[in-house]
Amino acid sequence: MNKVDSASSGLAISGWAVTSPYGIGRSVFSEGLAAGRGTERAIEQGQGPAGTACLVPDFDSRAVLGKKGTRMMNRVTGMAVSTIGDLLRELGSDRLDPDTTGLVVGTTVGSAQSTIDFTRGSLTGERPFHVEPGLIPYAVMNGAAGQCAIWHGVKGPNATLAAGRSAGLLALNYARRLLLTRRAGTVLCGAAEEYSVARAWISEHSAGTDAPGAVLGEGCAMFALTADPTDEPPLATLLAVKATTCSDGDWYTTVRRCVEQATAAAGVRPSDVWMASPSGAAGPAGHAERAALGDLFDLGDRLVCVTELIGETHAASGALQLAAVLSLAEQNPESAELPAVVTSIDESGTVVACLVRLG
Amino acid sequence: MGDVLAAHSRPASDRVVITGLGVFSSIGIGVEEFAEGLRDGRNGVSPISVFDTTGFAHANGCELPGFKPEEWLERWSAEQLGRTSQFAVAAARMAVRDAGLTDAALRERRVQISVGTTDGESQDLDHLAQTWVESGPQDWDPEVARRVGAGRLSAAIAWELGLSDAEALTLATACSAGNYAIGMGFDAIRVGDADIALCGGADAMCRKSFTAFYRLGTIAPDFCRPFDRDRQGILTGEGSGVLVLERLDSALARGAQIYAEVLGYGMSCDAYHPVQPEQSSIARCMRSALSDAGVRPEEVDLVSAHGTGTKTNDVTESRAIREVFSGMPPRTVSLKSMLGHTMGAASALGAIACSLAITHGFIPPTINHRETDPECEIDCVPNESIPADLRVVQNNGLAFAGNNAVVVLGKHQPAA
Repeated sequence: MNKVDSASSGLAISGWAVTSPYGIGRSVFSEGLAAGRGTERAIEQGQGPAGTACLVPDFDSRAVLGKKGTRMMNRVTGMAVSTIGDLLRELGSDRLDPDTTGLVVGTTVGSAQSTIDFTRGSLTGERPFHVEPGLIPYAVMNGAAGQCAIWHGVKGPNATLAAGRSAGLLALNYARRLLLTRRAGTVLCGAAEEYSVARAWISEHSAGTDAPGAVLGEGCAMFALTADPTDEPPLATLLAVKATTCSDGDWYTTVRRCVEQATAAAGVRPSDVWMASPSGAAGPAGHAERAALGDLFDLGDRLVCVTELIGETHAASGALQLAAVLSLAEQNPESAELPAVVTSIDESGTVVACLVRLG
Repeated sequence: MGDVLAAHSRPASDRVVITGLGVFSSIGIGVEEFAEGLRDGRNGVSPISVFDTTGFAHANGCELPGFKPEEWLERWSAEQLGRTSQFAVAAARMAVRDAGLTDAALRERRVQISVGTTDGESQDLDHLAQTWVESGPQDWDPEVARRVGAGRLSAAIAWELGLSDAEALTLATACSAGNYAIGMGFDAIRVGDADIALCGGADAMCRKSFTAFYRLGTIAPDFCRPFDRDRQGILTGEGSGVLVLERLDSALARGAQIYAEVLGYGMSCDAYHPVQPEQSSIARCMRSALSDAGVRPEEVDLVSAHGTGTKTNDVTESRAIREVFSGMPPRTVSLKSMLGHTMGAASALGAIACSLAITHGFIPPTINHRETDPECEIDCVPNESIPADLRVVQNNGLAFAGNNAVVVLGKHQPAA
């Protein structure tokens, strides 16, 4: 059995990449966030009930990745493959051993659109098996992570985690365990969510308990988490991830307790926290989450909710929140060495708190 | 070869054992019935009833027609959950009871909940597709739309048991997801994040999966015949399996029954093709699992193969097994001959079957077998189970997207 290194003082985040409603890459993301620029735009008629969304502008898998191997590729896979590609370029991918490099992608349900389209094909075709075989890999939830592995030759542990809005932060925790148990030396981890008509209608019909009036967003953020020695100081250090469940309806207490446990595990004093980012979920659960963070930390305008700018990005939200914290930290040198908190809540009951020390 | 496995020399605080099992399968519900089914070589096949199969030339599958979730759910009412979540929650309930744990006792511990799945709430997604075709997504049933997030398979277990200090997530790594989930529970305990893990897999029979495999030409017309010269493919199935894992010292302290020990596991990714398996990556996965378990290949007494019964899988997998075992593989069986391919539940049910085989001292057979394919040079224990003292068993899970995961279980040997 592999050795467990549970005494680790934290794992280095050695790189990150983002695809967001601001566009592809970290610089447009940073500029957009710094300017506090909203991204809600009108969408074409028939593209969903809301009439607006926060889309990655002009994102097209074939345009971004080329025509080879992308004919049937859906949007969520395109964003994941492209974002991982950006991350590997930043890291210098020749420095990674493919067999010990892991890949973890968080999701809600894969691509609801591809899945439903495939079955619609069976129901409307001349024969029930007259379906498009090229859609099959994309109609399964692990399609995006599998394509990322094929595209970039990453052969270590490859996992797809489904946990709704909590998926991004749980992907970090899964990656952390892969590193502590030496199953991987570096893990590329994060989450992706696409905008689609199917997802828009799922969100619309769920709105009673979920997020009334939430504008949908989409995007992908990926981080390189490593136990290997790095030449340069880390951009940030992952100190702790704690997940709990709200099973009594009391979101405020569940979030508060979860964050307190995470800060205690990380050895962080609440008064030292430089920034906190709640998921920004709409409705009473989201308000409770924000209130708990507001009560725990005295942060003023450094309680940052990116949902207001880039929309409700569901599975991608936790990863995009962390990306936002890292981006804002880069622009504020006084954040160096200070801790930051990212939290997530999902209507299924899952609550996650993630603690990082900024570079 | 020594009598004591390297794994057994670790301290009890660093060993993880299986102390409870919950199982819903087409050949039996609950550990006793399931063990009986495995020993008798029961065939779970019947004509598919859950969706309209008109237009398909053949449509057999392995369903659970008599599943009554209301007998198991205490906090949820059955109509609040999709069929896959019902499977997952019912199996978790059964496993917790089997482990002799109360909800109150669980609430005092940190619990890792990980459920593997291929298709999540697939019948709900089928239903949404049907409504879209008939009238459009504006007419979707809100109750159904609300529950399609696959994370709910795991979160619903936490809610059913009233847990708060629980991390719940779903491993959506297709047909090896059950092994991924077991691995996650094992690691969560070993790194000190959890005291107990409820882990396994669940999937429900659905049109989408059946159609995909049918389109790929991999659905068998009658029975599933793994490693047979005339095998024609898989039969889709449904069910769920959940295992309770805890540290050995915790199990001993509360006097729990111990089915088997989780010795280790391994994962690899082919990074080769979305739907075709790749031999060297499968071999790498098995080697990594054996190394993690501290087990030499010659110490393995049985392999529970992924063994889907397709032309490609069985040749590729048996060659990878021969490669790892230097041409002398242990007996290698396919439970899918009996259970069909239960997708995300498959390797969880496989791990449960391995645990029961270790506990009761027998090897379940590969049924529907006529003549072993000379290209699959393994002893698949055709048609009838045999008694055997099993010390180490390897449970393979392979999947689309090249997501391989192998779990290694060992007989729990009380300290001398």
